[in-house]
Amino acid sequence: MHTHYLIDYFVFQGVPQESVLLILMLPIVATLIAFFRQIFGIKAFGIYTPSIITFAFLAMEGEVGFKGIKYGVAIFISVILVGMATRYVLKKLRLLYLPRVAIILIVVAFSILAILVLGGSMQRTGLAAIPIFPLLIMIIIVEKFIAAQLEKGTKTAFILAIETLVISLVGYFIVSWEILSIFILKYPWAVLLTIPFNIFLGKWTGLRLSEYWRFREILKKMQ
Amino acid sequence: MLNFFKNRKKLVGMNSRNLRYIRPNNSKKAIRIADDKILSKKVLKKGGIPIPRLIAKISSHEDLDNFDWAKLPNSFALKPNRGFGGEGIIVVYGRKKGRPDAWVKADGSAVTIEDFKNHIQNILDGNFSLSSVPDTAFFEERLKLLKLFKPYTFKGIPDIRVIVYNKVPVMAMLRLPTKESGGKANLQQGAVGVGIDLATGVTTTAVQGKKSRIIEYVPNSRLGISGLAIPYWREILELAVKAQEISGLGFLGADVAIDKERGPVFLELNARPGLSIQVANLSGLKERLERVTGLKIKKLKRGVNVGMDLFGGEVEEEVEEISGRRVIGVVEKVKLTGRNAKEVEVEAKIDTGAEFTSIDIDLAKNLGFEKTIEAYESLDTDWDNLKNMTLKERESLFKEVPYLLDTAIIHSSHGTTYRPVVRISIVMDKKLITAKATIISRSHLKYPIIIGRKNLGRFLIDVNN
Repeated sequence: MHTHYLIDYFVFQGVPQESVLLILMLPIVATLIAFFRQIFGIKAFGIYTPSIITFAFLAMEGEVGFKGIKYGVAIFISVILVGMATRYVLKKLRLLYLPRVAIILIVVAFSILAILVLGGSMQRTGLAAIPIFPLLIMIIIVEKFIAAQLEKGTKTAFILAIETLVISLVGYFIVSWEILSIFILKYPWAVLLTIPFNIFLGKWTGLRLSEYWRFREILKKMQ
Repeated sequence: MLNFFKNRKKLVGMNSRNLRYIRPNNSKKAIRIADDKILSKKVLKKGGIPIPRLIAKISSHEDLDNFDWAKLPNSFALKPNRGFGGEGIIVVYGRKKGRPDAWVKADGSAVTIEDFKNHIQNILDGNFSLSSVPDTAFFEERLKLLKLFKPYTFKGIPDIRVIVYNKVPVMAMLRLPTKESGGKANLQQGAVGVGIDLATGVTTTAVQGKKSRIIEYVPNSRLGISGLAIPYWREILELAVKAQEISGLGFLGADVAIDKERGPVFLELNARPGLSIQVANLSGLKERLERVTGLKIKKLKRGVNVGMDLFGGEVEEEVEEISGRRVIGVVEKVKLTGRNAKEVEVEAKIDTGAEFTSIDIDLAKNLGFEKTIEAYESLDTDWDNLKNMTLKERESLFKEVPYLLDTAIIHSSHGTTYRPVVRISIVMDKKLITAKATIISRSHLKYPIIIGRKNLGRFLIDVNN
């Protein structure tokens, strides 16, 4: 595979090609999230959460192959559901915010551990073999969910969680798209094109796709 | 379908709201005031704007421990200082009987001092504030619901959102709390948003909830939403513009409520007003904002006038279109036809106090009912005489009167009378009504005909006409 001399230089200096590639992918994932927000109106939990989950998915795949994404999605959904249920139970205790989130984290962590052990005992070795770091990231995500639930209500938080999952999945498929990897290794400077594209997004004042739905009645009825 | 895409240019979406209107017009300093309710109160009060009175504030756990609960009045509202979307607010309406340490909420449930302490701890901890930063809790005067709004509201109190740009009120909406919204006037939580004609303060179209469903009636009732005239309209707009001058928010969402005793009271400054107001009004903000951009307006009153002139006045057509009813005034020209083919044009008084339409004897004669009247008058129709008769006896008495449709007993300020009823047709505001009309002498009155409720079902009455 032919790569750009700059990449060759980095690798020669001892930086793994994998790291270079992921760092170059980060602007693309960030741009994707901005694009989803400004053009489609899909909000998710900011820019941090969907990008970190995208890379968590990638890291899971690294160890256990393509199955990783399947387990990743399952764990994401479990985290959200357990978090939601725990918060519901804790509601009656009327605890202050941080201790409450800490308890929710504990319950989520134990649940995930139980799922892993259960998976192992059922010979689903792939599940048990998920690397720990992306797993921890997934567990921590529950705080974002709880915060959103507090501020915007359960329904909105749930929608945001699903939106986060969708964006992360799209991000995952883009980042793991081989043609793109080859292209970036060959033309790393092309990543800088995301800057003018983001300037365009930042100046875009048209309606978001979701707003065509929100305003459908008035769009139909106005003269 | 073509319209669907053409119309997008008239709307303001989130992107353009943030970039074109909030960024350049709302400075950080002004937003800081709007996001801090206690600070807003201070600034607005200093500027001479009526606000709900601040009773007390609690900004630390120490404050909470030392708080003197005895100084709270019988009814009040507890709010988080940096709350948003109506979250974290508790309103109590009176003290619980026999309990010195408890108050009653709108749904009848009790709130004890212990409950308040818990809730305030949550507020202090930032559970209801933007981005969960530690917050202050405060008690304020509870506003009292205006009688006029009572049938339109579920608990809570309605408020009026006015978007002010460049000192001109550009769009307004009445927000009605519903059962779904739990008595809160917040559209995101299921309240009703009603569009308002800026010139007259009369309601037009309405939407409910986050999904912006268009509705015509108050939820769970048969009460129509359009056509309600909001009192103190001009004052409300003036307050909104004044609040813009004071706060420095160039693109402002001003929330004003009407208190039963105090009249219009300014509730809240919004630095990031929502966009559903466009759906409630079935009208785009963008066109309106662009028309106001660049105008040099020095005086508050002039700004209000400009807003009223530019963005109002179409209410009648709109109301007619939506309700399918015609808007008429108190006096209308009508064309009448009776027995003969003769068409008579007269001025009619629209009288919602009367049940039946009634016409003058001379007019009835003119319409071809001479014989009816003649025959009727030949009978003894004095009420004192008739009231002891059975229905059968009365029917036989009137059997011989020609073209008599019915008879009616009318109780009015002049006492009770027995009147003949005939059928006439009325053309009013281009609509044909077939009416039963009672005949009575109206020679001493200004109008030879009054149109009563029975025949007004297809009309809405504007008393200003």
